[in-house]
Amino acid sequence: MLETFNNLLLGFSVALSPSVLVYAFVGCIIGTLVGMMPGLGPLAGISLLLPATFGLNPIIAIVLLSGVYYGAMYGGSTTSILMRIPGEAASVMTCVDGYAMTQNGRAGPALAIAAIGSFIAGTAGVVGLMLLAPTLAEFALRFGPPEYTALLMMGLFILAYMSGGSMLKTLAMAGLGLMLGMIGIDAMSGYTRFSFDLVELGDGVGIVPVAVGLFGISEILLTAGQDAAPKVQNPKLHDLIPSREEFRLSVGPIARGSLLGFMIGIIPGSAHIISSFVSYGIERRMSKHPERFGKGAIEGVAGPESANNAAASGAFVPMMALGIPTSPVTAVMIAAIMVHGISPGPLLISQQPELFWGFVASMYVGNVVLLVLNLPMVGLFVNLLRIPYAYLYPCILAFCILGTYSVSNSMIDVWIMLIMGGIGYVLRKFDYDLAPVALGLVLSPMLELSLRQSLAMSAGDYGIFLERPIATTMLGLGVLLFLLSIKPLIFKSKDWRSKVGLDEVEG
Amino acid sequence: MKARLIFAASLLALAGAPAAAQEVFPNHSITMIVPFPPGGVADITGRPTAAAMEKVLKQPVAVVNRPGAGGAVGNAAVANAKPDGYTILMALSSISVIPAADELFNRKPAYSLDQFAPIALISADPTILVVHPSLPVKSLKELVALAKSKPGQMSYSSSGVYGALHMPMEMFLHATKLKMRHVPTTGGGPAITAVLGGHVEMTAGGPAAISGHVKAGKLRPIVSWGAQRHPAYPEVPTFKELGYKDVEYYIWAGMFAPRATPEPVMKVLRDAARKAAEDPDFRSAMAKVNSPVQYMDAPEFQKYWEADAKRLAALVKIVGKVETK
Repeated sequence: MLETFNNLLLGFSVALSPSVLVYAFVGCIIGTLVGMMPGLGPLAGISLLLPATFGLNPIIAIVLLSGVYYGAMYGGSTTSILMRIPGEAASVMTCVDGYAMTQNGRAGPALAIAAIGSFIAGTAGVVGLMLLAPTLAEFALRFGPPEYTALLMMGLFILAYMSGGSMLKTLAMAGLGLMLGMIGIDAMSGYTRFSFDLVELGDGVGIVPVAVGLFGISEILLTAGQDAAPKVQNPKLHDLIPSREEFRLSVGPIARGSLLGFMIGIIPGSAHIISSFVSYGIERRMSKHPERFGKGAIEGVAGPESANNAAASGAFVPMMALGIPTSPVTAVMIAAIMVHGISPGPLLISQQPELFWGFVASMYVGNVVLLVLNLPMVGLFVNLLRIPYAYLYPCILAFCILGTYSVSNSMIDVWIMLIMGGIGYVLRKFDYDLAPVALGLVLSPMLELSLRQSLAMSAGDYGIFLERPIATTMLGLGVLLFLLSIKPLIFKSKDWRSKVGLDEVEG
Repeated sequence: MKARLIFAASLLALAGAPAAAQEVFPNHSITMIVPFPPGGVADITGRPTAAAMEKVLKQPVAVVNRPGAGGAVGNAAVANAKPDGYTILMALSSISVIPAADELFNRKPAYSLDQFAPIALISADPTILVVHPSLPVKSLKELVALAKSKPGQMSYSSSGVYGALHMPMEMFLHATKLKMRHVPTTGGGPAITAVLGGHVEMTAGGPAAISGHVKAGKLRPIVSWGAQRHPAYPEVPTFKELGYKDVEYYIWAGMFAPRATPEPVMKVLRDAARKAAEDPDFRSAMAKVNSPVQYMDAPEFQKYWEADAKRLAALVKIVGKVETK
């Protein structure tokens, strides 16, 4: 403990030196802006900035990039809450209840809770990283393809819980998402599927253009299609601060979201998007009033936002302790330190203590900076709603196109986004819930790959899932969840779902 | 038809020649397309190269990442770009595998190799076979013996089917007539993670990517695909010296321009690449990422590339037959 404390002192001596502090600040600001840009997520942000770090020293480089990563996770919630446009993929769930809160005139509290939840989760994540990194990292390595398959299966079972209204409609949407995820080169054989001879579809359909299209563009179209122009909101100061009741309701979701997000974030693979879906599902399930979800429940903002920020810090555990990338974002960060001649690996923490502890300390600093930066901005952001829709929406549309294009400089992505906007518009007209499409699309390529990797490891023997304790436990839990979710179908007993009625997505 | 097109093109080129001669190349910025995401080998090689070429050409060289389909998207973009020298490509060795795989699957090819003119080879790193330290083998001989005793039961991970880490493993398995389970992943990083976690027994890793883990004793290097021993791993023998003459493989990075780029422009680009390769800043940047500069000028690189492409295309055919059996 004393050693950790001394190390942390060393870290703060690095992190609080003026040059590092300035870059942490700059990183957080850039990140917040990047996160707010529809389509531009943390990966695009740090990729664009990576070349600029080559001339800096490795500590500053990593502090700057992690600031961007963090900031983007914070900023992603802003447009989700205000305009129903996911600033980045992990904020998809925040769109649902966050935007509903905005329509109820509670945009301020939603933004404030998102920032506070992110701060608590982020800080808890750093504490976890600091104290548990080496132990947890070894555990994370035990997650091979079979364990990953089991985890993703659990994610799918949670889909059943997420259904707001008709189970059939939810499953249809999940099916659509799963099928979208089948597009692209088959990772095991190299065959191209459903690509219509477009080379760009070889890697499949990205979650960013789909999420921005389904949620954001469809919202713009729906608003434009209303008979009367929607009333421009005129938020007052006392509407900006969360009420005591809202605080009380958020405590549980933030705590659970932080823990869950951190655990999921550690596991290699880009699972942190899932953490926000799982958190939403859990909160809805645990709530005494699940019917409030989808109509502006603050728990639906607090849980997922905390989960995705905790997952962001969890992802640093294997990166720092073992030198392995758990996601594309950490892969770019590893490249950033490799360029300076530091080879990532299990010896990184002991050989480069200034780097690791400086990084940890700068994450504490970064979280404070982001909270200080974001809370006062709530008032500013909410005022964006005063802009008449005739000016606001064309600008948003332009930003959506710009952001989506810049992720991989691809026009095809822009087309996918626009087409998905049209599809999303039609589906919402027919009262379909769109979140399962996004979850299906995220899950299906990962699930398919890990399932087939598992079977490649065992030469086709499904027994591999029963030989490995972690996988078996998780699959068991999944099956249990599944049985619970079909119980009302069999016993016709009164389920919470019957209280919910048909989901009204429209505002 | 093709002959006529070439004839027409050469006429056009002749007509345009006097005008081109008056204009100095380059008079505005050059775009270097990197067909992989930032942070990968192509990107880490491309950015310092671009910076060093800027100094020589006195014009900005902007790196643009066009990732997708294992490099096919970016490669195709340059293949079909205007051949004026203002769009160049930093490709990896996978450039030769993609058309062969397209042919195998009866796909419309994304591009063909004769759409490119080589500028220079920048780096070439041999892959190194690493095993999980719990595997009771210290040499290639022991590994082959162990694999022979359990045919089709040992497994390896790769960066993806027909990817940069799959090809060398197939080359090795083909030469030793071994059978193993192939677990493709989504990149070089995840492939190494799978070995670290003990989910597969081995993989072929890039010298830079494995170095931290080898130093920490979490991965054991067995043998290298290089023609000579790698300077960072002097104690690791090569397949060649152990008697496998045809087992040689490098992940290389080289620059290309569209085929029809005029000769004078190509000369400027080649000169710039040569001077860049001699730049001490550039050499130290490449040394830091454990990927020493292996410069080759266009004619030499063309020969090297043709031999490499032939070997890989043949290998794709062999692998393809195995997989679809």
